[in-house]
Amino acid sequence: MDILENRAEWEATFKENFVAYFDETGETNFKVYNRAKNKTQPLGKAVDLSQSKLLLVTSAGGYLKESQEPFDAPNLLGDYSHRLFPIDTPFEDLAYAHDHYDHQYIDADPQVLVPLKHLADMVDEGYIGELAPTVFSYSGYTPDLARVLDELVPAVIEQAKSQNVQAALLVPS
Amino acid sequence: MEGIATATASWNGGYVRASLPPRGVIVRTDRGQTLGEPNNPEQQRRILKTTLDLLAQDAPVDIVVLDERD
Repeated sequence: MDILENRAEWEATFKENFVAYFDETGETNFKVYNRAKNKTQPLGKAVDLSQSKLLLVTSAGGYLKESQEPFDAPNLLGDYSHRLFPIDTPFEDLAYAHDHYDHQYIDADPQVLVPLKHLADMVDEGYIGELAPTVFSYSGYTPDLARVLDELVPAVIEQAKSQNVQAALLVPS
Repeated sequence: MEGIATATASWNGGYVRASLPPRGVIVRTDRGQTLGEPNNPEQQRRILKTTLDLLAQDAPVDIVVLDERD
């Protein structure tokens, strides 16, 4: 099961249109951006969340402001790196590098995108078995889906395996 | 993600319907507040729980549309 069906065709079209426009003008044009169009949903087994370990994946661009480099948010072709931070990180230790959403909401209440406290409460209530100790964070302006597949997805899988999780929650921004 | 059950919630219905994740919730919130309004923990929990509840089902799961503006 492919995450992106017809990858080769998607990549060729992306280069011919979106990348070529950017190379010519230095600007992006989402009128010529080829959105992924899958036809088949992946198969997968259910889990009993109350007996599972859950990994939080956030694309809000969160990073530890005192010890990590911010994401390259102004990059019009995207930043495909990731940061890791502990699930019990205080919100005051986080900053968010992502230029493609309005930060007024996350500044007022980080749980609109990074639900650390809600998830911790759900563990206390027995709804979730446990949380993976490390959050996977990236900055979700990532127009090049081939780079998402080649760089971000393997990194998420590595984290999921190394933390021995049975489930993952993605909260896009 | 092979062998790992995944679920997502997104305000961007177009992307969810096009990318077809195994378990997805389309939330009629705004960009930048996927899980609900700031300082509205009840709404945030509702959206989060609707999404996480899908993990109890084998994928593929029909895309769920949650209209929190009603």
